[in-house]
Amino acid sequence: MPKFTKEMVDDYAAKLLIGLTEEENKMVLDEFEAIDKSIENVTKIKGIEKIEPMTHALDNFIFSLREDKAAPSIPIEDALRNAARVEGREIEVPKVVD
Amino acid sequence: MKKQIAVIGLEMHCELKSNSKVFSKACNSYNETPNSNIAPLDMAFPGTLPVVNKKCVADALKVSMALNCTQPEYMYFDRKNYYYPDLPKGYQITQMDSPVGVNGHIEIEVDEELIPVDIHDVHLEEDAASLDHYFDTSTIDYNRSGVPLLELVTEPCLHSAKEAVAFLEHMRDIYKYLDVSEADTKKGQIRCDVNVSIMDEDSQVFGTRVEIKNVNSFGGVADAINYEIKRQTSLKEEGRYNEVEQETRRWDEEKGQTIHMRSKVDAIDYKYFVEPNIPKYKITKEWLEELKQEIPQLHLERKYNYINNYGLSNYDASILVKEKSISDYFEECLKLNIDAKSASNWITTQILGYINKYELTINEIFLTPKRLKDLIEALNKGDISSKQAKDIFYKILDEKKEVASFITKDNAQINDETVLTDLIAQILTNNPNQVDQYKAGKTNLFDFFVGQVMKETKGKANPNLTKEILTNKLK
Amino acid sequence: MLDKTLKEIHEALINKQVTSEDLVKEALAKSYEIKEKYNAFVTILDDAKGRTVTDDLVSGIPFGVKDNYSTKDVLSTGSSNTLNNYVPFYTATVVQNLFNKGAIMVNKTAMDEFGMGGTGTTCHTGPVLNPWDKTRMCAGSSAGSACAVASGVYPYALGSDTGDSIRKPAAFCGIVGYKPTYGMLSRYGLFPFASSLDHCGVLTRCVEDAAIIVDAMKGQDENDMTSWDSSNIHLEKHLNDNVQGKKLFYIKEIADLENYPNASVELKEHLQNFHDTLNKFKTLGVEIEGVSINQELLNAIASVYVIISCAEATSNMSNLTGIIFGPRGNNPKVMDMIKEHRTLGFSPLIKRRFVIGSYVLQKENQERYFKNAQRVRRLIVDKIEELFQKYDGLILPVSSGPAKHFDQDDDCIDENTSVLEEHLQIGNFGGFPSITIPSGFINDLPVGINITGARYHDELVLNLASKLESLMPYKGQIAKEVTK
Repeated sequence: MPKFTKEMVDDYAAKLLIGLTEEENKMVLDEFEAIDKSIENVTKIKGIEKIEPMTHALDNFIFSLREDKAAPSIPIEDALRNAARVEGREIEVPKVVD
Repeated sequence: MKKQIAVIGLEMHCELKSNSKVFSKACNSYNETPNSNIAPLDMAFPGTLPVVNKKCVADALKVSMALNCTQPEYMYFDRKNYYYPDLPKGYQITQMDSPVGVNGHIEIEVDEELIPVDIHDVHLEEDAASLDHYFDTSTIDYNRSGVPLLELVTEPCLHSAKEAVAFLEHMRDIYKYLDVSEADTKKGQIRCDVNVSIMDEDSQVFGTRVEIKNVNSFGGVADAINYEIKRQTSLKEEGRYNEVEQETRRWDEEKGQTIHMRSKVDAIDYKYFVEPNIPKYKITKEWLEELKQEIPQLHLERKYNYINNYGLSNYDASILVKEKSISDYFEECLKLNIDAKSASNWITTQILGYINKYELTINEIFLTPKRLKDLIEALNKGDISSKQAKDIFYKILDEKKEVASFITKDNAQINDETVLTDLIAQILTNNPNQVDQYKAGKTNLFDFFVGQVMKETKGKANPNLTKEILTNKLK
Repeated sequence: MLDKTLKEIHEALINKQVTSEDLVKEALAKSYEIKEKYNAFVTILDDAKGRTVTDDLVSGIPFGVKDNYSTKDVLSTGSSNTLNNYVPFYTATVVQNLFNKGAIMVNKTAMDEFGMGGTGTTCHTGPVLNPWDKTRMCAGSSAGSACAVASGVYPYALGSDTGDSIRKPAAFCGIVGYKPTYGMLSRYGLFPFASSLDHCGVLTRCVEDAAIIVDAMKGQDENDMTSWDSSNIHLEKHLNDNVQGKKLFYIKEIADLENYPNASVELKEHLQNFHDTLNKFKTLGVEIEGVSINQELLNAIASVYVIISCAEATSNMSNLTGIIFGPRGNNPKVMDMIKEHRTLGFSPLIKRRFVIGSYVLQKENQERYFKNAQRVRRLIVDKIEELFQKYDGLILPVSSGPAKHFDQDDDCIDENTSVLEEHLQIGNFGGFPSITIPSGFINDLPVGINITGARYHDELVLNLASKLESLMPYKGQIAKEVTK
């Protein structure tokens, strides 16, 4: 298991499109250490691997899927009103290149 | 070098047909006007939540069943996380752990031979927004954001571009038969990713797999596969197979080449996890049974039915099953006891010619199977000649009138022997010179007499009967 | 007038002792005062107007909304610089439900950025101060709502609760905080933090008001698939049901003093207060027993919470790019532009949590961290549900004492973090209804007690809370600054 390193923290941050200061980087590592210790204990719980992960707060209630009915589009003014740059009816961004 | 075989896997994305998008109530239809089919979720406004469209799930399950996949007891969705300007939420809602179908298998036809194709899975997901690029900017149109997509992933079990395209065409036909998609590549409704590797013919070990992303036409798929097989084989021939890396490439249609996008080491970790806003949904046996009833017999089955049980050629049968509406029309004809070959001939020549010319569907034309039956019966009874039948065919379509209205006394064939005998006697009396010449041995004048009869009857005299009487009279 | 209960204010409106317009004026004036003193608000709605008074108890009466609820035409920031200029075009379902009954929103309250924090100090508008003692935190994340309700700006404000974000600040501000069973209140329009743990809820000064407000807000919402039909639940109706013979349990490992050999005086007093409160409750014929739970599970609560909430949060907040809403970065490359928006917009706490969330979701780490956390979540929930077969509810002290000073940062996860600080997260793990009410004072600062019940048993939980509240003199209390 690779330990969480300073470089890894920076790499993760970069992939999340956020920048971290040195100090923030160190705090991540400190916090992570506490989590890792706690999880280490969890892995020792007998039969833990057989438990089904709980992904929702409730998983036992009845619900139905939505009927296929379309509703009118939101007005273009609403769609664009918070965008910093707009071109015609579309939102404009610096050129997206692969 | 040993003979190489190609190993190909396909990921086929197909837009589904529905009134509303898969997780929002915005209209799911192509719209020229940018940002005119938008619900708040489609632009990921904070606080918006996905609500699953029942029809999309139903249609996805139908495809799953048509591909002989296993359906899950509980269906749920996962988030595929990545950043890109066309993905407003920063993740795509898709299915990873419990898709609508896994482990399917079908047979497709290649060169009139059936080959098996294994399906890894089929899953329901949402499309991204579309970008338009300008000099130094791009613009984003969210109309496509949230459009239902069905992604089908095959096992690496295809071996040539031809097989790959045959599979894609087969699937396109299935989508159309199930009526879950228009499946139109021209509208960008089908997009493919292709995996290609090569290996020695007798080997059990797959070669290095190269993925080619976003190929948007079947022709492109064939070209990309052929290009990639050639590229990899050449490298192997030159002893440089280690240069084939596990990578993602893209197909450049203009250059006719695949181009490196990213290496495996740079592969994005999509950090999949279960979408917490969509509860796990129980797929009941009853619902599956209900959906199963709605699945029609598919094209390949129909085709072999036509060939084996109705004696049609593979070629004709292929044409008849190409579209479900046409096949349905044909089967309606069979139900009306129209002779299969005769129905097939009328459909594949006259009817298809007509509807293609006028860009109609077979259900739009006035000539229903019942009317086609009337027309064919009139022809068989000899009420009309085959030339007349063709004329009447167009008249029915253009004037939208019943077949009977075109078979008036006026244009009915003259089959009455006494009428024709009298008429012929008259003609012979009026043309004594020609009769003499004929009898003197100028037998090619026979056609002259037939012509005279036809002239007098405006072409309605029964030609066989006419010839018979003439032959007797001129003896 | 606004320091009264909803029913009292409604009565005054009906009897024309006061008008809705008067109440709005009072609430706005008070809002400015409280903003000045404690920095509780992001936005005060100067153009709020009085509304018609009807039979609805909420009609014509002002209220506050946490700034992570989408409110049409009103700035909604989630207290984050990533949305510091965002004006939504739609209103969250629960807020709309209150509007439909004639309630009047007068301000948007400050909070820990997107609810990710328990201090009330990470708001982009600065920290919220505790109205009992300005040198202390309100706790969070619903800090502004707790502060405003405790200060008497209005009888109630909306909060949201992912770990304890309603129930802890309520305790630290001496008021009531209630989050119903998951899905009873629609989350449509609530800016998500961790969707499988997020709950809407309310902060009030008495249990009755909490019941009235949730009765008014609840209902199945076609825009939230996890909401359910609660039309057969009537919270207010059952507040005074007889509780004799009801059985509660507390977790010994959390609430018994003997587990804390080095307990501070404050902690000793706090736990004493808890047990004294239980003794009062027993006078109504409520049976309360201490139950022992596997310490391993209890110790895992904090990590399970951090792992699941951070993982969901990194994903939930991936829509914050500055493209469609929020301030734009200036960088000429599009991905760098997004990065600039996020780097400048998010507070350090959130960025740290994102990195952790991202790490635990990585393919190679997911099994060990994220999936194991989800498994322990189930083990804990199953254990509590098993106890709910036998007991009507779980009763525990909130936190390890009263509000903390600003220099006691509560948001660093260190291994010494006591289960006492984190156990309310159990309520979020299982989507259980959970309510905190004030239970007394330590050093003149309020402390609280929490009752959590089985899913869908909200009526019983509020009934128990209301009965307990009636035995103590803290119902409706307004914060008084303690001079030291």
